[in-house]
Amino acid sequence: MSAEEAPARRYAGTRVPRVEDARLLTGRGTYVDDVVRPGMLHACFVRSPLARARIEGVDASEALALEGVHAVFTAEDLNPTAREQWYTLIGKDVPDTPRPPLAEDEVRFVGDPVALVIADDRYIAEDAAELVVVEYEPLPPVVDYATGRESGDLVHEGFPNNIACELAGLPVEDLPVFDEAAFTARETIYQQAYAAVPIETRGLVAEWSPSTGEMTIWAATQSPHEVRLFCARLLGLDEHRVRVVMRDTGGGFGQKVLPLREEICVMLASVKVPGPLKWIEDRRENLLAAGQARHEHADARIAFDADGMILATAIDYVQDVGAYPTPAPMNTCAVVGILFPGPYRIPQGTFATTGVFSNTVGRTAYRGPWQFESVAREVLLDIAAREMGRDPAELRRKNLLRRDEFPCTNHSGMPYSDVTPLETFEQALEMLDYDAFRREQERARAEGRYLGVGTSTYIEPTTDSLSLHATEGATIRIEPSGKVNVYVSGGSSGNSIETTVVQLTADALGVDIEDVNTIQGDTAVTPFGGGTGGSRSGSMNAGAVEATASILRERIAAIAADRLGVSAEDVETVGGHARVRGKPETGLPLSEIASIAYFQPESLPPGVPPGLEASGRYRAQSPVIWANATHLCTCEVDLTTGAVKLLRYIVSEDCGPMINPTVVEGQIAGGVVQGIGGALYEHLAYDEDGNPVSTTFMDYLLPTSTEVPVIEYGHIETPGPGPGGYKGVGEGGAIGAPPAVVNAVADALAPLGVKITRLPLTPESLVTLVREAKARQEAAG
Amino acid sequence: MKPAAFTYHAPETAAEAAGLLADLGDEAKAIAGGQSLVPMLALRLAVFDHLVDLRRVGGLRGVERRNGDVWIGAGTTQTEVQRSALVAEAVPLLSRATPLIGHFQIRNRGTIGGSIAHADAAAEYPAVALALDARLEALSPRGSRTIPATEFFTGLWSTALEPDELLTGISFPVRGARSGFAVEEFARRSGDFAIAGAAVAVELDADGRVLRCGIGLFGLGSTPRRASAAEAAATGGGADSLSAEEIGRDAIAELDSVPSDLHASADYRRHLGAVMVARAWQRAVKEASDA
Repeated sequence: MSAEEAPARRYAGTRVPRVEDARLLTGRGTYVDDVVRPGMLHACFVRSPLARARIEGVDASEALALEGVHAVFTAEDLNPTAREQWYTLIGKDVPDTPRPPLAEDEVRFVGDPVALVIADDRYIAEDAAELVVVEYEPLPPVVDYATGRESGDLVHEGFPNNIACELAGLPVEDLPVFDEAAFTARETIYQQAYAAVPIETRGLVAEWSPSTGEMTIWAATQSPHEVRLFCARLLGLDEHRVRVVMRDTGGGFGQKVLPLREEICVMLASVKVPGPLKWIEDRRENLLAAGQARHEHADARIAFDADGMILATAIDYVQDVGAYPTPAPMNTCAVVGILFPGPYRIPQGTFATTGVFSNTVGRTAYRGPWQFESVAREVLLDIAAREMGRDPAELRRKNLLRRDEFPCTNHSGMPYSDVTPLETFEQALEMLDYDAFRREQERARAEGRYLGVGTSTYIEPTTDSLSLHATEGATIRIEPSGKVNVYVSGGSSGNSIETTVVQLTADALGVDIEDVNTIQGDTAVTPFGGGTGGSRSGSMNAGAVEATASILRERIAAIAADRLGVSAEDVETVGGHARVRGKPETGLPLSEIASIAYFQPESLPPGVPPGLEASGRYRAQSPVIWANATHLCTCEVDLTTGAVKLLRYIVSEDCGPMINPTVVEGQIAGGVVQGIGGALYEHLAYDEDGNPVSTTFMDYLLPTSTEVPVIEYGHIETPGPGPGGYKGVGEGGAIGAPPAVVNAVADALAPLGVKITRLPLTPESLVTLVREAKARQEAAG
Repeated sequence: MKPAAFTYHAPETAAEAAGLLADLGDEAKAIAGGQSLVPMLALRLAVFDHLVDLRRVGGLRGVERRNGDVWIGAGTTQTEVQRSALVAEAVPLLSRATPLIGHFQIRNRGTIGGSIAHADAAAEYPAVALALDARLEALSPRGSRTIPATEFFTGLWSTALEPDELLTGISFPVRGARSGFAVEEFARRSGDFAIAGAAVAVELDADGRVLRCGIGLFGLGSTPRRASAAEAAATGGGADSLSAEEIGRDAIAELDSVPSDLHASADYRRHLGAVMVARAWQRAVKEASDA
């Protein structure tokens, strides 16, 4: 069979191998540290060793005397040169929290950047950084956000009681249901700080050309256009003077959505130094200063009637925002409260949320920034089930919203639609064989072995339509050869956008996937767009590709119809050809149509524009697209050591029709591993003086392949309101995993009377809980 | 995370290396596999003006029988130790401890001498050396000497080696037929430094009594430790009648200054230490009894 007779193939829904893999797996990716420019200089930050102190003076004379050192900048040099400092995604007029490029009068966490050293190479820069003498007058730090509101000390003047933001609904006292209900579960649930920890740390190369007034930035980012717009405003340049290039970014997970303080400093410094400026964050800096997430607690309540039906929920949520949160924390604080009801039928309730500053690293976005709503709800549901003497699965089954109840609105006003929480729950239980596991658990207990099973079910908002995320564009050029180039803004940080866009374009134009290439991440050539964030890439790029491809399909059909003497409606593009429907032997290859379009414009039918290149833009069709999943985990706990061994991990999810199941499962797996890390291992910890104690991978424990079981996937495909019915799937894994793991461990230890309300579940914490429970039981006789 | 500048030396004989260490004094550090030293240099937790690389030094690698013992060159990598049939047969405790050291990439570069000379309190090899009464060979311009393992580990990351002394080899005595060996450790993740661990060697007499035993502890103090009192209490006892739990408790009772950190409090470490000793003792005795 010749290429011209290739059958129509449809790629969406199939496990197309990733087009990124050949270069990434052979070590030929281009990360920002691979960028080398002539005359390039290197930056290194001088950082505060104290959690809180007044800066009395900075003496850089010895550092400047070192050979190879070009400059040492302090806040005086850089901060006044920042023109505007706001994010496109957030907007100019939204109340913001402080974010000085370099620390000015006061340092506010260990790692706070105080000065920026510029040298010939990073070695010299680090030598010089050690020679910069900063005189500090120590001040009492606010280390613990949980007591920060009562502290007499302030992280920032102008934020009384260290409150960064506050929002509250009806006072919980006004809801008598919690006192009157047959049973109300109420616990304070706490989650430790952990972080995105991309394997490629942050970094950028900023090359300022004074002669042309142009700035080129190579960045590790999820959103090259945000970096471009931000930099243009920061430096007071026209947007077209700034070009941002990203090729491969080794993980972002939210940390690389917005330029943070160090990146701002490098942009400001780059116009003051005589060469391109590179800053590559090292691992210690990443764990010290790239931001924390997840540090929070809540007083959570769920009221039930005598049959175990939920009557109401309430959550009083408090978030640690650190010293310099980015973005301002109001949004994620509020979303935790709004989403707390989750996928359950809950007639009423309320919430209150507060963000509290502390003298620790600022909070940054991390994969499902509102994740705590699921942690608090799902952990509390299991506690409630045990206290009511009900099986947690049976309790959920009663209360999960059924398919026929959607669309519906939760008691915070969230309009859920196109989701299947009960279906994913049943599928996950079936994949495990829940009843069989309960029998196995019974047998194991008789042998003194402690097995447990835990689930968590959630609904998550994906593909928001706010601001920079409202649209996404694509440009498609069918080359004279008939091969296809598709340009989108990109922002791939490991999430396979190249493969996704190539697949979708091949389908949209009826061409072989091998004939499609994609160009992404360079703001000089790609359409404007929001990049990666909020689980939006699949849906939004699908919209952008289709909006553009439909223009080209129409043009192709018009040209072919004219040549073949048929009506345009009878022409379809398939197998790299424009063919007459029902007559597969009649058609023209795309190369011939392209040749006409580009080189014989005089022979085009009337009204058909020349060329086969088009741009289109897709506008999100709904405020968000809801997705949902159930996670299920089983484990065995060694009571003697506190070791937890995960046995099985099952995820049943509904992200709509899958563009590529391999990519979907990869997204889930990555998130699940991060969630397992959060439940059991990862802890961005501080001592009581505010010193970080986990700034290397010896102490910050990422789960590795030996800690994570095989992840099993179940899929339910319910179309959402977007193009192709596709929904987002980027964040869910990291949302659902921690509560599933916590519930599994709690289930294993339930016969001992153990209740778990604090993360992470370290072996020591479990041994302590078991010991305390035994002591309680003995005291009770 | 870039090390401060240093001068690199690559001697080819042990005498030359020892001479460099003698000449350069405190400003020099010997480097073998570099698996502990390089991260410390990169984090600038350690700064040395001179590094003396031992990888080209002849005569520091290999496993062989010497005078009835098994001699292992200090520069022998952990992977080479793990693959040695002689070690597996004659010093099985060493073979069993090796896979617990870091990850295979670390073991490919890390050396047995480096691990023992670095003397990390949480490392496996120092505890094995203690449990087996290994003898450590040191060379300096003043000549060579042998240091018993029990006298080698003197404090936090410090040893009986003089600044100009180079560890050249380790001799492990070969135990009798009715011996058993086991190592148990508890780490947060596979490959992490142990929170607590124990290496146990037990030799029984014909009547099933403990002829001699060694209990090396790691992760439980500022140095690798030997549970001498627990060993003394167990020696001469009937293997069947001794309580492993009691030996575990005895071993931990001897310890002072058990560390407390992010991953484990001192109390939890003690608890785990006793459990690890008991589990290792049980397995070692079973192996000896079955022999």
